[in-house]
Amino acid sequence: METKNIYLPRLAEITDIKQETPDIKTFKLKLSLVYKPGQFVEFSVFGEGEAPFCISNSPTRGPGIECSVKMTGKVTQALHELNIGDTVGIRGPYGNGFPVENLKNKNILFVAGGIGLAPLRSLINYCLDRREDFKSITIVNGARSSNDLVYKDEYPIWEKAKDTRLYLTVDCQEDNWSCMVGVVPRILEQIKPVCQDSVAIVCGPPIMIKYTMPVLLKLGFCPEAIMTTLEMKMKCGMGKCGRCNIGPLYICKDGPVFSYAQVKNYVS
Amino acid sequence: MPALIKMTLRILLNRVKTDTLLKKNMTKFIKKEDLYKLLNSFLKDFEIIGPKQIANKGIFYEPLESIEDLYLGELFAIEPAKKFFLESSECLFHSGFLDGKATVQDAPLPDKRRIIIGLRPCEAKGLILLDKVFDSEYKDRSYINNREKSVIVGLACAKPDKSCFCTSMDGSPTGSRGMDVLLFAVEDGFIVEIYSDKGKEAFSSLGKEPDEHQNKTLSAYKQKRSELIGKNFKVPGDLSPIFESDYWDKVSFPCLSCGVCTYLCPTCHCFELVDEGRKMYRCNDGCAFSNFTLEASGWNPRPTKKERYRQRVFHKFDYFKKIFGENLCVGCGRCIRHCPVKMDISEIVSNAPSGAGK
Amino acid sequence: MIEELRNKARELLKTKQVEAVIGYQRASDGLSAIPCVIRSEEEAGRLIWDAACVYNLCGYLKDFRAKKLGIVAKACDVRAMIVLISENQLNRDDVFIIGMECCGVVDEKRARVSGRDGSDISSADKCKSCASCVPLAYDCLIKEKREKAKVSEDADKDKYEPVRKLEAKSLSEKSKSWKDEFKRCIRCYACRQVCPMCYCPRCVADQFMPVWFSKAGGIEGNFSWNVARAMHLAGRCIDCGECERACPVGIPLRDINRKIEKDIKELFGYEAGMKTDAKPFLACFDKNDPEDFIK
Repeated sequence: METKNIYLPRLAEITDIKQETPDIKTFKLKLSLVYKPGQFVEFSVFGEGEAPFCISNSPTRGPGIECSVKMTGKVTQALHELNIGDTVGIRGPYGNGFPVENLKNKNILFVAGGIGLAPLRSLINYCLDRREDFKSITIVNGARSSNDLVYKDEYPIWEKAKDTRLYLTVDCQEDNWSCMVGVVPRILEQIKPVCQDSVAIVCGPPIMIKYTMPVLLKLGFCPEAIMTTLEMKMKCGMGKCGRCNIGPLYICKDGPVFSYAQVKNYVS
Repeated sequence: MPALIKMTLRILLNRVKTDTLLKKNMTKFIKKEDLYKLLNSFLKDFEIIGPKQIANKGIFYEPLESIEDLYLGELFAIEPAKKFFLESSECLFHSGFLDGKATVQDAPLPDKRRIIIGLRPCEAKGLILLDKVFDSEYKDRSYINNREKSVIVGLACAKPDKSCFCTSMDGSPTGSRGMDVLLFAVEDGFIVEIYSDKGKEAFSSLGKEPDEHQNKTLSAYKQKRSELIGKNFKVPGDLSPIFESDYWDKVSFPCLSCGVCTYLCPTCHCFELVDEGRKMYRCNDGCAFSNFTLEASGWNPRPTKKERYRQRVFHKFDYFKKIFGENLCVGCGRCIRHCPVKMDISEIVSNAPSGAGK
Repeated sequence: MIEELRNKARELLKTKQVEAVIGYQRASDGLSAIPCVIRSEEEAGRLIWDAACVYNLCGYLKDFRAKKLGIVAKACDVRAMIVLISENQLNRDDVFIIGMECCGVVDEKRARVSGRDGSDISSADKCKSCASCVPLAYDCLIKEKREKAKVSEDADKDKYEPVRKLEAKSLSEKSKSWKDEFKRCIRCYACRQVCPMCYCPRCVADQFMPVWFSKAGGIEGNFSWNVARAMHLAGRCIDCGECERACPVGIPLRDINRKIEKDIKELFGYEAGMKTDAKPFLACFDKNDPEDFIK
């Protein structure tokens, strides 16, 4: 009996494309998939290549999945040239996802930078759809400029949700910008989120994570209560190709969601 | 009634006879020319892959058109037999169009059975380590197909090289782990030890039982071989305390960041997935290359050879052990022999500063 | 020679003329050499010098940008440095060249293929046609005091004779023979990493938009890679032979490079790395260029 081909993708049609920022698009795909917030899929653009993207919509907001993609290289450039109706290949879901059970009855602090909001959005909407299971929700979302902020049409909905606060920030002051100004770690120092019974979930560019961690530790969050979703260059998604090996962990298999305590020795 | 008893007795007797026969068939002696004749007879049903001597280049495993080309001497093949299981470039699936709709199809798997002969014990052990990655959760169908279709006929090492250190990696020049059959070169022939059903199926018809002299030769052979290994050291149990040590700056200095050690290693298995012309290929790759961890954004978590060489050592002697319980190294010495600047990973590991756990 | 070398290194480090000295130390097998960097006088005792000092150490210079370094160099190594200086990859003032008078290095390839045990140490092929034991440029010269058993008895012989033999073959013979060689290429890029002239921060072989030399299936990619690298070395290769030595599967890379070297010598009278003030040959335009298509 022949073994199933683990590299063979399922076919999925693009049903919607939304331009979030000049270089970020959100693709909605027709695909029925059982997954947890924080998991990712391997996206195949036939003839170009494959790349991993986290699923950015909550499993409570189906049908179909959404992936937000920033144009950076070969595969993402080709993906940005696709249209509604085109077919892509999807493998997955892979990864461990967020440990939702451990977040129940806790205050959750979401800290996002740029496209880092994409994996967190899946969890944010999941929590909002099961609002009673969680205590206060604080979202700190930053970007280089207001043009680089994603999911803008969700912000009013998040702000209106029960016991939910949203802080937006950009690096430098702009015209017609009435929210905060400053890099994300500085904003955290200003708003001083409470660490009691809290979990912090951080996702953003490496440099943001590097400077955010010490701030959270100073605010009283212990390393086990800080979660991050890492995204080193992943390829196979199944712990075989070796690319995402960090310490005795594979980001694709043991992560991409880790507590800071798990990875602080390997992330300098 | 008596007929039934007779029949039962006959069945039982047959079973005992077969069991004894099987046990008897576990070790044989075969003359060299008879081995070659046997392999010749297999040519129509099996692809026979074995070491071949290429003038002025070295020994290479190749599918043999003529058994006369088979080299079963002392020298080691430059590339290990790993490439017949985890191929250096392999099509996994192709995508296309049918009636305007996109399609995907599995790449076909080869059907032909193979005998891979001449593998050394270190290479066979390397396959066992690769099984932990490719024949575990998420089974890789082409690797598994290659494993199932192959009979592994190994050759015990007559003369270990001075770069060999298999005994420090829980191996031995006469080890049988991963072998279906193992050949020991003795006077005018080979003693053949058969370990598996696959091996029995292929070799049980040949040769005769070894005589007392041959048995004695074999015991002495096995004993002597391990003593010939010059390098001997204990790998530290836990390298993580010295992750930040500047030892890695010092020892990684000569490294060129090429791929020789990775591609010649029987256990290295990192790969990339590339789509070329709507065909998805798995191609071999290595953490030594400077762009292995380079991300599309331009950020590279392992920018210099220090981080990359440290990753190589840690993956082989720390991380893999923590996940799978064994070092990802079989002590074959290829990386030492063929490194363009003669870096020696066994020295680097055995000289690791104290601070590394036991 | 070894003591003189070590003392020189100690002196350079003590007087802070250099930050470090790049040289050779004994490898773990007790016979070969391995590149090393000496940063203090105490470490200078590690330096060795003998026929096992095969490697061209120029590639390590780029690990130490903008610092003054000492480097142990043979005549062929210095030729490489001359080319690097002419291409603005190296500042002459940033290196203190410890020139070594060299009598030839071992044939590592042959030793490896035949299973070297230390007794068979014959000279590398490239040394047989080497024009001079003494480097063309140096800041100090360490002379060979032994009876000079210099290898290049064939120095006057036509050094391109092996190339001419290949050129004389028919197209189909050449095609078959190169296919047999390139099918063994494993794309380890050892030839590139060991070459002093291959210093591109992002090699064309590593680019993927588009992929220039496919690794997937077939040997076309292997052909393109090896030929493209030889073309990129045209007019720059000094035949140090490192590529062929480093190649684990024994592809005769020098044959390709020497063919181009011969063509350039015969067509233009130019040899790379032979004149300290020469400009990079194929990268310069001269108003007196005899070709008129460009005017």
